[in-house]
Amino acid sequence: MKRGTCLLAGGLFVLGGAGCATVPSGGQVVTGKPAERAERVDDPYVRLIPVKPRPEWGPAQIVSGFLAASASFDDNHHVAKTYLSPQTSWNPGLRPFVTVLSSRIIAPQVVRTAGDQATVRVTGDELGTITSDGQYTASPKGLDSTFQLAKTPQGVWRITGMPGDDKGGLFLSKDDVERAMRTVNLFFFAPDQQTLVPNGIFLPVVNRQTLPTQLVQALLAGPTSWLNGAVRTAFPPRTRLRRGVHIEKDVATVDLSEEAHAGNIERMSAQLSWTMRQLSEIKRWRLQINGETVIAQDMEATQPVHAWEGNSPDGQVPQGETHENAYVVGSSGYLGTLQGDRAQPIVTGPGGRLSRPAIAPDYQEFAGLSATGRQVFVAAPVTGAPTPHVLLTAQEGARFTAPSWSNDGTLWVVETRRDESWLWVRPRGRPAVRAAHWGLGGREVLAFRVARDGVRAAVIARIDGRPQVQVGRIAHAPDGSLDVGSFLPVSSELQDAVDLAWRDYNTLAVLGRAKRDSQTLPFLMPISGSAITSLGVGSLGEPRTIAAAPGAPILIGTRSSGKEQVCRQRVPSNSYSPWICPTAAKDPSYPR
Amino acid sequence: MSAGMTRAKRSVRRGLGAVHRALRSAVRTGYTRWRRSIQVRIVTSTLFISAIVVAILGAFLMQQVSSALMDGKVKAARLQLDDGLAQVQRDLGNSPGDGSRLNATIDRLKSRSGPSGLYEVYIRDTTEQYFDGYTTNELREESVPRRLREELKNAPAGASAYTYGKLSYVGDRPSERGLIVGGKTGQFELYYLFPLEEEQRTLTNVGRSLAGVGVVLVLLLAAIAALVTRQVVLPVRLAAQGAQRLAAGRLEERMRVRGEDDLARLARSFNDMAANLQEKIGELEDLSQVQRQFVSDVSHELRTPLTTIRIAADMLYENRDTFDDPAVGRSAELLQSQLERFESLLADLLEISRHDAGAATLDAESLDMRDLVLRVVGDIQGLAERKGSKVVLQLPGEPCMAEVDRRRVERILRNLLVNAVEHGEGEDIVVSVAADRDAVAVAVRDHGVGLKPGEGQMVFDRFWRADPARARTTGGTGLGLSISREDAQLHGGWLQAWGEPGAGSQFRLSLPRVAGAELRGSPLPLVPPGAGDARPLYAELEAGE
Repeated sequence: MKRGTCLLAGGLFVLGGAGCATVPSGGQVVTGKPAERAERVDDPYVRLIPVKPRPEWGPAQIVSGFLAASASFDDNHHVAKTYLSPQTSWNPGLRPFVTVLSSRIIAPQVVRTAGDQATVRVTGDELGTITSDGQYTASPKGLDSTFQLAKTPQGVWRITGMPGDDKGGLFLSKDDVERAMRTVNLFFFAPDQQTLVPNGIFLPVVNRQTLPTQLVQALLAGPTSWLNGAVRTAFPPRTRLRRGVHIEKDVATVDLSEEAHAGNIERMSAQLSWTMRQLSEIKRWRLQINGETVIAQDMEATQPVHAWEGNSPDGQVPQGETHENAYVVGSSGYLGTLQGDRAQPIVTGPGGRLSRPAIAPDYQEFAGLSATGRQVFVAAPVTGAPTPHVLLTAQEGARFTAPSWSNDGTLWVVETRRDESWLWVRPRGRPAVRAAHWGLGGREVLAFRVARDGVRAAVIARIDGRPQVQVGRIAHAPDGSLDVGSFLPVSSELQDAVDLAWRDYNTLAVLGRAKRDSQTLPFLMPISGSAITSLGVGSLGEPRTIAAAPGAPILIGTRSSGKEQVCRQRVPSNSYSPWICPTAAKDPSYPR
Repeated sequence: MSAGMTRAKRSVRRGLGAVHRALRSAVRTGYTRWRRSIQVRIVTSTLFISAIVVAILGAFLMQQVSSALMDGKVKAARLQLDDGLAQVQRDLGNSPGDGSRLNATIDRLKSRSGPSGLYEVYIRDTTEQYFDGYTTNELREESVPRRLREELKNAPAGASAYTYGKLSYVGDRPSERGLIVGGKTGQFELYYLFPLEEEQRTLTNVGRSLAGVGVVLVLLLAAIAALVTRQVVLPVRLAAQGAQRLAAGRLEERMRVRGEDDLARLARSFNDMAANLQEKIGELEDLSQVQRQFVSDVSHELRTPLTTIRIAADMLYENRDTFDDPAVGRSAELLQSQLERFESLLADLLEISRHDAGAATLDAESLDMRDLVLRVVGDIQGLAERKGSKVVLQLPGEPCMAEVDRRRVERILRNLLVNAVEHGEGEDIVVSVAADRDAVAVAVRDHGVGLKPGEGQMVFDRFWRADPARARTTGGTGLGLSISREDAQLHGGWLQAWGEPGAGSQFRLSLPRVAGAELRGSPLPLVPPGAGDARPLYAELEAGE
């Protein structure tokens, strides 16, 4: 009887299990959230696998292998170090100095072999350097360096001397850099202490677990040489991480050393939040100082990384206004706002006939150029028929770029000649002055736009006969004079550029011509230097001006068979949406 | 320090000992219950067997689930690999890999791997000597086992292979088990590495559920077994209790009859048996009652003629010298002595029939046992001297008070002493007295012929004689020891005998200090010190009780 019960129960169990295990063939629809598809710092990446030197390799092969292996950051360059003689100290660490080459060095030449010693010469094209603070500087030139090698007692060749006196230098190809390093933004405060300024740096991806720690350490180390002096950090000097950033279930813990007590918690939190939101695995985070959790005002102990919108580098977005009014110059000579696809006149009279008008962010006044671009006018108020006043008149043979306002109401305009340029600055209520230090004094400038953070400025400058998009920074020298310079090229993918605008703090909208293209088209150009993407499809005629603002459609002023038109994308949220030109107007602009 | 250590050690040892003891007692209790209860036995074996069956079943199911899961995974992985190989072929063909094109390809492959880590990719160019290809994310190149590489190296182009291995990573990410598929196209080897975390989790969940279900099932079976056996065992247990009570003499005990099943039949037969027994025992009791009554009546009826005969015989005896024929005088003497014997026999018969009828009563008073012993010894001193025996007394210094019936105890002691003198062969007779908190005891030791094995019990039988050949004329009536034992039992005490051939014998009387109290032990040993061994002791003890 017992055995019978047993078997029966077992049988039922098996039958029941088999009966339940079916795949559903119907049922209700289950929805899911759309995946966030933004460019993330911690996206999948690719690592190169280095090989150890083989005993039979000669000096040239050892150098080739070393150069290839140094592209791998695994285990603190463990494999690359096996190419070196034990006496050679070489420690690139996590933030190395990198010489960026255009391609891998293929054929090192052995220039001298004398018994146990050898010298190997490598040649190549150097594109630039990345300093140990992560700042990339373009410096195209030829590379010609030599490596010293020696034969060890075991009879194998090892590197004993490396070019340059930097003990941690790496020679990496552009591909290696793109693979092994990420461009990330560190956020620092603009001089107004309100707006954050992104500071793009190159950070080697050792692995994704240490990335948050690397990122915060880089933030604590301060801005790169490029932004140094132009921005401030809220972290007191010598603040450091007590231990690595610890992440548990989307919540990161940042434990700062004691020195951080002297800093402003809210401002430090804003910088950390904006810096860490680049990592998708962090949703919330907790700030600790000396192991004790500190709480920023109006925040919980764990703050979301998307807090501190008030410190956005794009400036504060006014409440209630979903997107800003675009201003255009109507075909019959008025300045109007774009209502749907029709221009609504606001300013008429002589003020309305100005070319390239720019409305101040506070809507108090506006500036424009004369038709020839040889005079800068300022008019107020932005309604009715105000009389424009001449602010500046260009010298012989020179003309002005489109005027640009920064958020504090300062007007910026560049006067330029074929081989010369000057930057004019007019703070609100004061006369225009020439900037004391202007980094592009010897070059022709085609466009100049101040970023919404007021610290960075994008220009189109003619370099070696080719217009190039560059980004510089606005700093105040200790004596109070203005220093606008340190212009760095953003991308080398365009062979021509006509106009640009800041789409948001990380992206420029550029009218330009890509290599191998014959037409001028709009592109989105990330400041980080990653690949540009073209915007929209369809014919645009001859685009001349571009306007962009965060969350607003990009507008293009174009001339097509003699007619001035303002074009927009049919569906602005879709970057592949075709261009349509429904408005007969020119020179679109956004106040911010 | 060392003292503390020692103390600690000692306490630990004590604790261990306690645990050990508790464990052992638990085991013993469990074993006893297992041995005594059918229910426990059946439930245990059901538990055991069903646990084995469920375990085998579970292992089989787990194996099925796991192999099905792995088959699916392998199929999906190979499809993924074919896709990747096609992509590599499209992008790179068989042309020598130019760096940036390989880069673009790995970028495309990477973009499919996804941040959730569905799989990792490892691609290598076999013609490249300065580096060993690329991997995605943190994957280490060692994750691809050497055996898979060898297999692919020797395989024809387009072949693919898979194996299981351990995926290891740079950084703190722990290594995990994974499925590794690899394929070759042209000079390129492409590997896809799938972590099996998810599958492991599924299997763990399934395994846990199976274990839970199995435990519940086994417990359920055990509960069913317990219930079923309870239904069977309960009536059996009741029957056993009934039989026990019946055996204890409660003849009116009956089992309850319920239903008409086998157990009801058992109960009915049991009840029939009990009724029969009761009837037979009742008949026997009645019969014995009649017999006893008869003996008692006969004894009484004999008394009156005996008194007359006695008077006549006394007269004849007193005038025996006046008879001319000396033979007549001798007959008168003989008649006198046999009459005395007859009288005492009659008195004993009456006494024993009084005991049998339950009419004997205890006339208890508090007495010192030593006084009783001294008096009785004084009485038989003459007899002993005649037989050449010496009576040795071993009395304690303090009084041995006990509530006893003087007459009956004196009779017992006299009986024992007379027996000892008669069978003592002229040797010394030792009389010892002892007392403890609950009891007093008197032992009478002789060094005569002793008793044969089994005779220790038989001496108390009525009309038993140690030597059948011995003339009936000598000795007592044959009822003395029986009456003595009845007397002892009336006190709630014991009368026991020990003996060995050639070593003499010892009789021990043990009485409770308080009349009617239960006797638990005796202050004196039954076997005299220095005589006998353990075996007869036990035998006699059993007989005595």
